[in-house]
Amino acid sequence: MQPIGTALWPEGVRSTVALAFDVDGPTGNAMLDGSIWRNPSFFTLGSYGPWRAGYLLDLLAEYRIPTTFFVPGWVLQTWPAQIKAIVDRGHEIGYHGYQHEAFWQLTRERQQAVMATSLALFRKHLGLTPTGFRTPSGDWGDDTIEVLLDSGVTWSSSMRGDDRPYFIEHAASGRSLVEIPGRWELDDYASLAYQRNPDFPAGLDRIAPYDTTFDNWRREFDGSHRDGLCMTTLFHPKVSGKPGRLLLLERLLQHMRAAEGVWFATCGEVATWWREQHATAEHSA
Amino acid sequence: MSTTTRPVWPHGKRMAVVVTVDFFDAHAILTQEPRMAGREKSLSVWQYGARRGVDRLLQVFDEFSMAASWFVPGRVALDHRALVQRIHAAGHEIGNASFACEDFERLTLAQQRDSLLAAQAALNEVTGETPTGFRAPFGNWAPGFTQHLREAGIAWSSSWRGDDRPYLHPAVGSLSDASSSPLVELPLHYELEDEPYFSFNLFPPVPVGQPRIASYREVLANWQQDFAGFRHLGLLMPLRIHPEILGTAGRIDLLRELLASVRAHDDVWLCTGREVAQWWRSQHSANEPGHPVDVLAPLQQGLPAFTS
Repeated sequence: MQPIGTALWPEGVRSTVALAFDVDGPTGNAMLDGSIWRNPSFFTLGSYGPWRAGYLLDLLAEYRIPTTFFVPGWVLQTWPAQIKAIVDRGHEIGYHGYQHEAFWQLTRERQQAVMATSLALFRKHLGLTPTGFRTPSGDWGDDTIEVLLDSGVTWSSSMRGDDRPYFIEHAASGRSLVEIPGRWELDDYASLAYQRNPDFPAGLDRIAPYDTTFDNWRREFDGSHRDGLCMTTLFHPKVSGKPGRLLLLERLLQHMRAAEGVWFATCGEVATWWREQHATAEHSA
Repeated sequence: MSTTTRPVWPHGKRMAVVVTVDFFDAHAILTQEPRMAGREKSLSVWQYGARRGVDRLLQVFDEFSMAASWFVPGRVALDHRALVQRIHAAGHEIGNASFACEDFERLTLAQQRDSLLAAQAALNEVTGETPTGFRAPFGNWAPGFTQHLREAGIAWSSSWRGDDRPYLHPAVGSLSDASSSPLVELPLHYELEDEPYFSFNLFPPVPVGQPRIASYREVLANWQQDFAGFRHLGLLMPLRIHPEILGTAGRIDLLRELLASVRAHDDVWLCTGREVAQWWRSQHSANEPGHPVDVLAPLQQGLPAFTS
């Protein structure tokens, strides 16, 4: 069978894996509304992700998987050594808000301020300028594309509606973002995250079995590889980077490494490739 | 190149396992779900712990020749005096879990202190010993409460999260020597608790969205994998179980099988909370720089009084 996407990738590549983690830490709604400062259990629960991200970096090094980490500015400001270790070990860093703001609820000016604050922190602590963005909460506003483009962002991994990259056009300026869409099936919140006060999942559904979660993720990769697509993940160090779940991740990395013709790339590398290949066809994408 | 350090455990052990038991009777569920009040059938789900579950857990701990750390609210000690005395006489540690599982987020700091002290008095009266361990039933307390814990003789807590080894709460100032050393925290993990997997009631619905009861076999498999992961990395694995949940005829073998795995490795230090806290305090005078608990403390300063 001819994979759908064979023609999408470099010579010899059947499918692409752009592994990605959101290092949210304790940022999010409870920090934005201030309630987290009275909720030490929840603050510490979230902090575990960036605080002990080192195990995950060791695992990724063992399997040589270049990975993209989306890091809110507040997390970088609070744990600069832990985030610098991500960069030092060869991974990519992308924007993820300052405190995980929901961009679709922000004015254009607030979105611009969040991007500017984040950029200043990335330059100060890491000496780098990210080119990619994953919108916190997964939704953005009508004006977000222009805010991102004006901030120097060239690609995004925010949407859910495809299984390969595509262009998001900004008609007014003739510019575009490369979008590398994710899937809820590959969000570890959908299977493994659990917390009380605030409750997640909303109805306090059970933590899924690790074994069946691995099987789901393994099937997602198998399908993406069979069809020659681009698979990214919405994993979180505080969820799947915990001691028992690292073994689940390891099984997934082993499984993917055993397949032939997988391009393990950062989201930024995928976006660059996509733009080079489709430069002429960009506006008909 | 590794960015993480592995904690050091006594006797050359690779990791530490602490089994903690929340013997809360119906108090925690009544706080969590006030509509439970007066519903005898529903309450009896939680009262099963005192009736049967505690003894079943004691039997398993005896089979494994191990001591666990039990958290008991003062009210429960007064209501189940003989049972709590039996737990204590069997060599287990008894910790303080507030007086009646009050929601500390609805109490002032002074009320939180009163609950703590009332429980210390009740537990001392029933067991003849003053607890050194504490668990906030719902995890949180007001800034400043740490000082009250230390003044009440509490040396360690297992209430917060955020790490996979013990850590030290920020030291409290201007105290007598005895109580000025920092409180040791043994942080929790939801995946190592029985309640998220198994708690259930028809009406009022528990959990709130009324999910199915999890597969016993799959929960055991998760715990076995968690144990493998914590052991691989050489960490502190604190189990948090309930007599009414895991101390049932059908589920108790999950505990047996997990403890059998623990016992199958001679590099695991199976100990009480008090022991692991003492060890940590003897080895550490500060946390690694940037620890979440040290990040939080200054951010809590200047908050208005903690009150409903």
